[in-house]
Amino acid sequence: MDASFRSAMRCVAGWAPGAGLGGDNGPSLERWSMGATEPPRLAASDVIEGHALRAHRIPGDPEPGFAGFLDGTQQSRVVHYHDGVPLVHATVAAVIRFRNERRLYTWTGRPDIERALYVPRNAVPEALWDHLVGEFGAVVDTTPRDDAGLERVHPFIHLERAMHTVQERREALEEALAARWCERERRPILVDGGIYRSDVVARSPWAVGVVKSHRTLYAEGDALARVLQLRRGERSSVVRVSRASGYRAPVASWYLRLRDPAGRDPMWGLVRVEAADPTTLSESAEQLTARADQVSRWVLAEVAPLALPDARWDKMVYPIRDCEEYLRAVG
Amino acid sequence: MSTAPLGRVVATERRPNTPHEFHFWTALDAPIGIGTIVRAEGTVPVNNVVPTVYGVVTEAFGYTDLLSPLHDVLGHDGTPGSAAIAATHRTEIRLFTAAVLRQVPDEPLQPVPMGIVHLATDDDVAVALRMDGYIADGSRTAIPVGMYRSGGTESPIYLDADFLLGPEAAHLNITGVSGLATKTSAVEWLLQSLFAHFPTKKGTVASVCFNVKGPDLCYLDLPGELSDDDRALYDALGVPATPFQNVQYFAPYNAKGTALATLRSHDDLQHNVVPLTWGLEEVLQFAEVLLNKDDMDAKADALIDFIRERVIDREFTDALLKRPHRVRTFAELEEWFRELLIGIEGRGSGDSWRTHHVATIRKVRNRLTNISTRCAGLVTDDGAVSDLPFGTFEDRSVYVVDVAMLEEDAQDLIFARVVQKLREHLEKRNLGVDHVVVFVDELNKYAPGDGPETYVRKMLLDIAERGRYLGLVLFSAQQFRSQVHRRVVGNSGTALYGRMDADELATPGYAVLSPATRTKLATLDKGQLMVRHPHFTQPIFVRFPRPAVMRGRDGAERYPQAAEPSFEAAVLRELRRLDPSLTMAFVAEAVALHDTDEIVRAKNATLRARPADVESFFRGQFRTRVSARAAVAAPTAAALRPAPSDDPYGF
Repeated sequence: MDASFRSAMRCVAGWAPGAGLGGDNGPSLERWSMGATEPPRLAASDVIEGHALRAHRIPGDPEPGFAGFLDGTQQSRVVHYHDGVPLVHATVAAVIRFRNERRLYTWTGRPDIERALYVPRNAVPEALWDHLVGEFGAVVDTTPRDDAGLERVHPFIHLERAMHTVQERREALEEALAARWCERERRPILVDGGIYRSDVVARSPWAVGVVKSHRTLYAEGDALARVLQLRRGERSSVVRVSRASGYRAPVASWYLRLRDPAGRDPMWGLVRVEAADPTTLSESAEQLTARADQVSRWVLAEVAPLALPDARWDKMVYPIRDCEEYLRAVG
Repeated sequence: MSTAPLGRVVATERRPNTPHEFHFWTALDAPIGIGTIVRAEGTVPVNNVVPTVYGVVTEAFGYTDLLSPLHDVLGHDGTPGSAAIAATHRTEIRLFTAAVLRQVPDEPLQPVPMGIVHLATDDDVAVALRMDGYIADGSRTAIPVGMYRSGGTESPIYLDADFLLGPEAAHLNITGVSGLATKTSAVEWLLQSLFAHFPTKKGTVASVCFNVKGPDLCYLDLPGELSDDDRALYDALGVPATPFQNVQYFAPYNAKGTALATLRSHDDLQHNVVPLTWGLEEVLQFAEVLLNKDDMDAKADALIDFIRERVIDREFTDALLKRPHRVRTFAELEEWFRELLIGIEGRGSGDSWRTHHVATIRKVRNRLTNISTRCAGLVTDDGAVSDLPFGTFEDRSVYVVDVAMLEEDAQDLIFARVVQKLREHLEKRNLGVDHVVVFVDELNKYAPGDGPETYVRKMLLDIAERGRYLGLVLFSAQQFRSQVHRRVVGNSGTALYGRMDADELATPGYAVLSPATRTKLATLDKGQLMVRHPHFTQPIFVRFPRPAVMRGRDGAERYPQAAEPSFEAAVLRELRRLDPSLTMAFVAEAVALHDTDEIVRAKNATLRARPADVESFFRGQFRTRVSARAAVAAPTAAALRPAPSDDPYGF
């Protein structure tokens, strides 16, 4: 049995003939959970380029520098509710599209795709779990290790837990793919999102992360004002972003304004760039500045063509949209 | 031979595949375009056979992931030049629609399956167009029409002789704008191909071509200029790159009767130019052609029938006539009419003669005797006949009837009579060949879709609808197919299209073609044709070589038309074809002694008789004239003795 959504439906139908199945016409859980994001916050960071965070005009013209672009997608749907416990089928995928003669192609010729059922094992009958594992095979337990009383909770908690697990799987897929690139290639790659999760990627001189979401802003006080006042073609000073929760390698990061925000919200066209920490590369201060300028020129070179009709087109570079479209087509 | 994959079949709910149409995409640099023949291979066996579908590209689409052109404007800040700095090209698609040419197996007929698309190979083209049934050795009836070229594939395209010359289907129609030499060139090429490939077992074939304008068909026996590409096409298609080997030209005289009315009048080209002249008997059969509807009421028709059956070439006597008449020429007919009308008027009672009213007689006299004036040069007063060699037509010969310099009446008369004679001889199987291809250009004029019914149009319809049973095949051409009678073009089994006028393409008759195919038709190069043939389920584009004959314009420059000669020179030139030793002095003497009509009559009689001693025969045609002598004074009577003045009585 393949791991497609329909196979999952057939598998569940085999367990409970006549049971109402979710079908594939409803919205994906990603749409359902769009409003459920982390709360906005400010986080402190260390300025490692100069003494205070300020705006830097990027010298020179934008120049294409990235050879590869990495992004991942996920799509989750409920197959069946067993006594209020959702059985979720999800597809996670990641791909690197490399550029040759201004055209994009799939690195290694194929994407990484995983399909599985996400089920809280301790909330469903043992027989059902065994049936799913036996018939479908790819089943992921969404039960938290430290939560023993999950069998009788609000179904949305099960859904959120499933979503969280799916997201972790997708991020793991992206990290593994990015790590492979960094190990095999000697060309820059633009990763959609942060690069901090993988030690290999975070330390690689070839990986650059571009973060579009600003739920967490790594600036406070006057520094925050300077970030929000960046003009098109300007970047902030480089800061060091460290995360406490188990990520070993810190990364260098700076804000970069891709488009003129006049008349729009302060985040318009604003991205945060992540790259290897200068200590990892044994860089001098001048080299860090030069690298930040160069990477910024590379990112600025990607503002055309526009990523429309994606709603995030002001921050999204076109090849990342291409990755998403590609994964949507093959997923 | 298999080829590398070119594309993949795709189908969506909005744009599904059907049994007669499918869609596929290709790489951006795929060598494919409108008219390309492709092969799609399915993946799922049906009745244990994996289906293979052959199609021809009829439409092409290209687009990107842009939702609105405005997005591109925004992306480049309204500056088109900044497009060059975009690091990435947008995702772009080349999507093609193909019309199904053939599915293998034919049954069950299902929508085209998903699969890989390949460029068609040489063998694929033969199968796709169902040519495999008539290009096989032993049952070959293939007539090359041109070369299909696309994406590196070059395949000869063949018509089926059984569907071109009958008996299955027949006739060919070609349409295209004027001035690109496509229509005439295509017919010349196709006749060459036909003569080279028409199977001997199918019989013999000749062609009668009506040259209706300029020098188009005047140099079919002379070699033309060919490029290396043309010669390669001739080699590939197996047609010798030589002009027609056996061509005869027929043209009437000009109105003065001094020279033939043709652009092929150069002295070096006279060896196969023959006068076309008809007498009263030949013309009267087709009087209907020259008489309009108003003339041809029942009464006039009855009188003409009477004359045709009772008067022409018969001893005719009547109380009103002073003497017996045997009418064989227009001059004799005029004499017959004149005497008859004098007789009727002299009789003094009644306005009828043998039930024919005198007014009818006058009208018919006027119309008939006027024919020799209206068709001067073609119709002879003296009944001299010089005609196509009906009965002794030769295989693979071309007979060109040059009517380009004639009035419309004369053109119609020639066309009607020649076609009728061909028909009669083919019915009796004594023409000399089994099939005749009649080529008529300017079908818009001769068989229009609207306008009054004419004799010529009726004849064209008759050929189109019944000719194939006789071996009488119509190759026709025109600029606007939509304005030709539907039954003429509808009965043409094969249709060729050169470059088309956009207005013509906008007419309903072309609605079956895709917009892209119509666009291609409007931009075809010289030497390109779109072909429709009963075996081909879709039109196919081919390239054909320039005909290996001298183009009309080149011929007219290389062999300029002879200046209109004096009467003496014209007569001498005609007679010298029989005896080159004749001198101008000989003709000048005849001209000095006799009337022009007498000399023309003598010349025509000489040409017909082709005597061994031309000079004596020519002299013998004139009535003997007595030389002038001084008058002898008449004997005078002796003068009378004068009377005495005083004797008044003479005593």
